[in-house]
Amino acid sequence: MTDGVDPKAHGGLRIRNPQDFWGCLALIGLALFSLWAGSDLPGIQGFSFGPGTAPRVFAVCLLVLAGGVLLWSIIAAGPAVGRFHARGPIVVMASILAFAAMIRPLGLFITTFACFMIAAAASKETRWLETTLTAFFFTIGAVLLFFYGLSLQFQLWPAFMQ
Amino acid sequence: MADLFSNLSLGFLVAASLQNLLLCLIGVIVGTLVGVLPGVGSVATIAMLLPITFGLPPIGALIMLAGIYYGAQYGGSTTSILVNIPGEATSVVTTLDGHQMAQQGRAGPALAIAAIGSFFAGCVATLLVAALGAPLTSIALLFRPPEYFSLMVVGLIFAVVLAKGSIPKAILMVLVGLLMSQIGQDLETGVGRMTFNIPDLADGIHLSVVAMGLFGFTEIIRNLENNTSRDILKTKIDGLMPKRADLVASAPAIGRGTILGSILGILPGGGAIIASFAAYGLEKKISKHPEDFGRGTIVGVAAPESANNAAAQTSFIPLLTLGIPPNAVMALMVGAMTLHGIVPGPQIITKQPELFWGMIASMWIGNLMLIIINLPMIGIWVRLLRIPYRSLFPCIILFCCIGIYSVNNSTFDVVMAGVFGLVGYWMAKHDFEPAPLVLGWVLGPLMEENLRRAILISHGDYTVFFRQPISAALLAIAAGILIVAVLPTIKRKRETVFVDD
Repeated sequence: MTDGVDPKAHGGLRIRNPQDFWGCLALIGLALFSLWAGSDLPGIQGFSFGPGTAPRVFAVCLLVLAGGVLLWSIIAAGPAVGRFHARGPIVVMASILAFAAMIRPLGLFITTFACFMIAAAASKETRWLETTLTAFFFTIGAVLLFFYGLSLQFQLWPAFMQ
Repeated sequence: MADLFSNLSLGFLVAASLQNLLLCLIGVIVGTLVGVLPGVGSVATIAMLLPITFGLPPIGALIMLAGIYYGAQYGGSTTSILVNIPGEATSVVTTLDGHQMAQQGRAGPALAIAAIGSFFAGCVATLLVAALGAPLTSIALLFRPPEYFSLMVVGLIFAVVLAKGSIPKAILMVLVGLLMSQIGQDLETGVGRMTFNIPDLADGIHLSVVAMGLFGFTEIIRNLENNTSRDILKTKIDGLMPKRADLVASAPAIGRGTILGSILGILPGGGAIIASFAAYGLEKKISKHPEDFGRGTIVGVAAPESANNAAAQTSFIPLLTLGIPPNAVMALMVGAMTLHGIVPGPQIITKQPELFWGMIASMWIGNLMLIIINLPMIGIWVRLLRIPYRSLFPCIILFCCIGIYSVNNSTFDVVMAGVFGLVGYWMAKHDFEPAPLVLGWVLGPLMEENLRRAILISHGDYTVFFRQPISAALLAIAAGILIVAVLPTIKRKRETVFVDD
C-alpha cells in the first residue's frame, strides 16, 4: 500500500482521495450492472416480495452509499491507489486456469505437477531444481491424501493411459 | 439437577463405547486436518462423508460428523496464525492478531492459547448444552422472522465495526456480499437471478469459492509482491508455551469469548463465524489498549478462538431442540439425520435421549482428544514456518485448486475462485476488506428469506421490525454500535477536510 497522495489529485481532476474515488466508481458500476441484470425479475406483488425485490434493495443501497463515499472522496484527502504488479496475479491465474483445463483430461498426477511448476514461476526467488523436487514430493503427497486417503472422485492418470 | 446427572451419565455411557470413541477420534482428527488445510472446509468434508456414514449406526455417524465440525475450529486457527490464511471461515478474525504474533516470533504462544481457549470453551459449552438445552428452547421459540432479520443486522454491524479501516467502506463490502449472494436460483419461486442462463451459476457461487479466492489466492498474490523472504521465513520462535503473563492476559478474554460464543451459537442465524467476529469486536471495544488489536495482542487470538468453539457446539441446540439449522454445517447435519430416519426437532430429547445426551457427552470427550492431539503436535505445525515461502505458495495454490474442485467436481468453481483472487487483489489496492463481504455473502440468503417472511406475515407492514420488542431491541443495539463507532470517524474526516487546505 502506498500512502502518498497522488500528485495528480491536486491538479485538474480535483480528486483528493483517488483510492476511494476509483473503488466506489467500480462499486457503482457493479450496482448498476446488477440492477440491469436483475431488471427482468418480478418485484413486489401485494404483500409478498418477488425474486427481484431483495437484489434491487441491496443494489440500491450499494449505489447510494457508494455514491456518497465517492462524493466525499472528491473533497477529503486520502491515499492513492496502490501500485499493481503484473507477474504475481498473471502467473497465479495462469496456474489456476491450467489446473481447470487439465484436471479432467490429464488426471490428478500430471495436473498437480505441471500446475505446481507453473505457479512457481510467480516468484523471482524460485530455484528450479529445488522446485522440481518439491513439486514431485508434493504431487505424491497430494495423490496419497486426496486420491487414496480421502477417496475423492478424481481421475489419477490421463484417460489414454488406462 | 439429579436429572441432569442421570442424563449426562447416560450420555457418557453411550459415547464411551469403543466404536463411538473411535468414531469420535476419527472425526476430530479429520476435523483438525481439514481445519488446517486451506481449501478443504468442514462443510465440504461433512458433505463428502455423508454417504460414508450411511453404513454406521446413527449415533456414531452424528458423533463423527460433529467431531469434524468442532475439530476444524481447532485446526482452523493453525493456518490463520502461521500463514495468514484462515483454514476455516470462523478463524478469519484470528488472522488479524494471530498472524501478527507469528511474525513477531510468538507463533507458539498464539497456537497454545488458541488450543487452551478452545478446550475451555468446549468444556463450558458442553455443560451449557446439557444444562440449558431444554429451557433455552423457550427463548429461541420467541424468535420469528422479524427477530431473525434484526439479529442478522446486528451480526453484520458487528462485522462492520470491527473491520479494519473505514466503516462506510466496510458497509459497502457487506452490501456487495449481500448483492452477490443473490446470484442463483430464488428458493421460493425457482427463478434464476442474474445467472445469464449459465448453468454453473444456477446454484449461486458457493461461499467456499469466494472465501478461497479472497483469502487464499489474494494473499498469495499480495505476498509475491514483496520480497518474500521477509515473510513467514524470518519469524523466530522462542518457546512454544505461553508465558504466565500471556495466560493472565488471555484468561478473561477466554471467559468472555466463551460466554459470547455460547449465546451467539444458540441464536439462529448466528453460529461460529459471527461468534468469532463478535468476540473480537467486544474485546477491542472494552480493551484499555484498542490500538494493540491487529498488531499481535494475544487477547485477539484467545477471544475469537474460544468463541468459535463454544458457538460450534452450542449451535447444535437449535438443531436438536427446534430442528432449525442455524448454519450450513447444521443444515448438513439435518441431511445426516434424515439419512438415518431421524427427524430433528423437540421430540429428539424425549424420544431418543441416548442420541441427544450421547452427542453432548461425545463433545466433551472430543475436546479432550483435541487438546491431547493438538498441543503436542503444535511443534509439527510450527515447523511449517521453516519452509521458505517460494516452496509454500505453489503448495497452497494447488491445495486450494484441488479442494475447490473436489467440492462439486467443477472446473468452473476453480476458475471462479481465481477470479475472486484477482478481485481481492483489486480490493486490497483500494483498501476494501474482504471479511465483511464474506459475512454479507453468508447472511444474504437468510436475511432475504426472513425479510420476506416477516413482511408477508405482517401483511406488508414494514414497521413490524420496530414494533416487536425483541426485534426493536436488536435494531437499537445495531444502531447504537454503529453510531458509537462512526462518530469519531466523521470527526476525524472533517478535520482532514479542513486541516489539509
